[in-house]
Amino acid sequence: MKDTKGIYQLSLQSKVVLTFTSVIALAGFVWPFFYVGNLQWIFVVAIAASAFLLVSEVGIGSIDAKSIALLGVMSAFITLLRPLGAGAAGLEPIWFALIIAARVFGPSWGFLLGITSMTTSALLTGGVGPWLPYQVFAAGWIGLLAGALPQRFAGKLIRGAAEKVMLIVVGIFASFAFGILMDLQFWPWVLGSSTQLSYIPGGALSENFSRFITFHFASSMAWDIPRAILTSVLIAMTATPFLRALRRTYFKAAFLTPIEFKSALQIKN
Amino acid sequence: MITFNSVSLIYPHSLHTVFEDLSFTIDEGEMVLVIGATGSGKSSLLRLINGLVPHHTGGILAGDISVDGISTSLTKPGGLAHLIGIVGQNPIHGFVTDTVEEELVFGMEALNFAPDVMRKRVEEILDLLSLAHLRARSISTLSGGEQQRVAIGSALVMHPKVLVLDEPTSALDPIAAEEVLSILHRLVHDLGLTVVISEHRLERVIGFADRIIAISADGKTEIDIPEEILKKSPIAPPIVHLARALNLDSVGTSVREVRRMTTHLRDFTPLVSQPRHTYGETVVTINKLSHFYGEKVALREVSLEFKSGEITAVMGRNGAGKSTLFKSIVGFHKSIGGQITVLGTDPTELHGHNRLATIGYIPQEPSDLLIHPSVAKECAASDRDNGLEDGSTFAFLIRLTPTINPDAHPRDLSEGQRLSLVLALILCSGPNVLIMDEPTRGLDYKAKSLLVDTLISYSRNLGKCVLIATHDVELVAEVADRVVFLADGDVVADGSTLDVLLSSPAFAPQVAKVMSPAPWLTVKDALRGIAAATGKDSQE
Repeated sequence: MKDTKGIYQLSLQSKVVLTFTSVIALAGFVWPFFYVGNLQWIFVVAIAASAFLLVSEVGIGSIDAKSIALLGVMSAFITLLRPLGAGAAGLEPIWFALIIAARVFGPSWGFLLGITSMTTSALLTGGVGPWLPYQVFAAGWIGLLAGALPQRFAGKLIRGAAEKVMLIVVGIFASFAFGILMDLQFWPWVLGSSTQLSYIPGGALSENFSRFITFHFASSMAWDIPRAILTSVLIAMTATPFLRALRRTYFKAAFLTPIEFKSALQIKN
Repeated sequence: MITFNSVSLIYPHSLHTVFEDLSFTIDEGEMVLVIGATGSGKSSLLRLINGLVPHHTGGILAGDISVDGISTSLTKPGGLAHLIGIVGQNPIHGFVTDTVEEELVFGMEALNFAPDVMRKRVEEILDLLSLAHLRARSISTLSGGEQQRVAIGSALVMHPKVLVLDEPTSALDPIAAEEVLSILHRLVHDLGLTVVISEHRLERVIGFADRIIAISADGKTEIDIPEEILKKSPIAPPIVHLARALNLDSVGTSVREVRRMTTHLRDFTPLVSQPRHTYGETVVTINKLSHFYGEKVALREVSLEFKSGEITAVMGRNGAGKSTLFKSIVGFHKSIGGQITVLGTDPTELHGHNRLATIGYIPQEPSDLLIHPSVAKECAASDRDNGLEDGSTFAFLIRLTPTINPDAHPRDLSEGQRLSLVLALILCSGPNVLIMDEPTRGLDYKAKSLLVDTLISYSRNLGKCVLIATHDVELVAEVADRVVFLADGDVVADGSTLDVLLSSPAFAPQVAKVMSPAPWLTVKDALRGIAAATGKDSQE
């Protein structure tokens, strides 16, 4: 089995833009802890704009026709998977596909897949709203993370059972992380101001943080646990054939194979 | 128009060159046919023309290729899209939209044409390819020939100067193939388009080609007029083999030419002697079988019997009921009227090992049966399923194709190798009835003759019953003992191959057309027949 590298690399410029927009997006998630007032709409706009900036930035970079075609096909596949779970009780059958595909094709492509698949599937499930930019960024990060997992451990390729376990761990982590991130953007608005768990604008960080954690455990663990279980089960069941099929695509489509042109004389000698 | 100047090509991870020092020129308005065995590099040659090789596949290209003065090493395939149209083997794989009109417009949208230009072009192409009545149809509802015409249309709509077609008819039945080829013929003659086409069923295209590029197995290429290439090429249609076998001075490319060259061989009364086989007991009995899909009648009170040791070809148009008949025999569905018994049992009640040993079914797309990631694993699974000794399926496969790589992924095999693999998987359990739906789609001559030999030995030596649904008259002539002809769910004709094929000129194989009225279907028949007749003549 050959080593697989990410099918395309972000340029330095794109990496700067990615870091910058990710910081803005992260600020969009955590501002209630630090700022008094309502910044939600500013960040909705900022996140959407930075996502757009990022996509156009990488679009003019080194991404080639084959990577884009693959991105389209996989986004369509994930988009079709999403309505199957309808998101009820956290049963979202999309994370396993995102994680496995990102594992094969690398972090930069995985980030793009997270963004495109979340956006297109939102159109199909009617899930377009102020929460969408948050979901898009969270999915992008999960793709980035799964793509950035190490290919080798102690000089040996990570394949087979070890790889499956690693992906399941990432799947569980991603399921919980996604739950926390979604709660963060949701919690300041959902409870009103009078309950024990409500957000206190301008309150102490520790107070708000403990209220948030309590809120998260009280309300959303019921979603995160089924999400983590479903994702783990799907990875455990599909990882072997799915990884094999995608790796075969990787080699068949000849990503990153060198192209050379020589004059007729050169090859004879 | 197209110039190859000492071109050599090496793919990545490969040690040998696909082409070495290949040079030729194709002029404007020429129709050039590329022939060669599967895997010899036909597709690579075609894809070099628009730069997909090596821009999309990787590899080292030496020498220079230019099309209309543009070098493919300096321009990416996208930059040649307006100049070169490319059409693939299976049109469905290339479609991006749902309806005919949208598909025609798609390429122009990508190249940023003005709306009024697009509108005019679409109308022009709809007329040129006789697609006007299909303009609003969903592509998935079209027949294979119509789909391939749409694919050609969406390439032509960009007004390319060169049209490249990679085996455009191999996924089509003969009628659809005829439709596509006659359109191409018209395009070359009316528009002066340069066409480069690869094909392996030469009998269909040979009459249209101006020149042939023949790629031999060792990578040598020749370019010449058809008559010269066909004198010695191992890849040739039946009439050329006939002309060679009869030692005619030249080879003809059409039935008419060869018929005129062989008048002297036909002025005696031929002997009608066909070797008769004796068949075994009845294996499949079908009694007044009817089947409906909603209102549509698929089969109407069909009664047939098939015996062991007999190879039967089931022919008929698409939708005539061939596949329904086969599915009923296999036991995919319960028949709505009438009954079927296979060795005395209702086929829907066969299960497990008993089923494997009774009925072997190879669907139209043989790769549907392949689920394992390598040839070796596929064979091992078959040993397990059939309770055979380890390695027996693979041993069987090696007899069919000695060169197969056991580690290859089944989907990476050539069509011929894939069919051999499926045949090995099915035949190693020795089913009493072997059923094949359209086995020759996409096969070259070599793979086809392998199939013929395998089927004949399976049926004659082991005394098994074989059923094939096919449009391929030449295959029927070679292999079948009996022909059943279906139309609209009725059995229209049922008799020996000779009687059924000769009764209608539309179904006669090429050799029979040349040798008519002599009842010879294949080159072998004709040679044997002539020898017998002339031997008798000299005795008198």
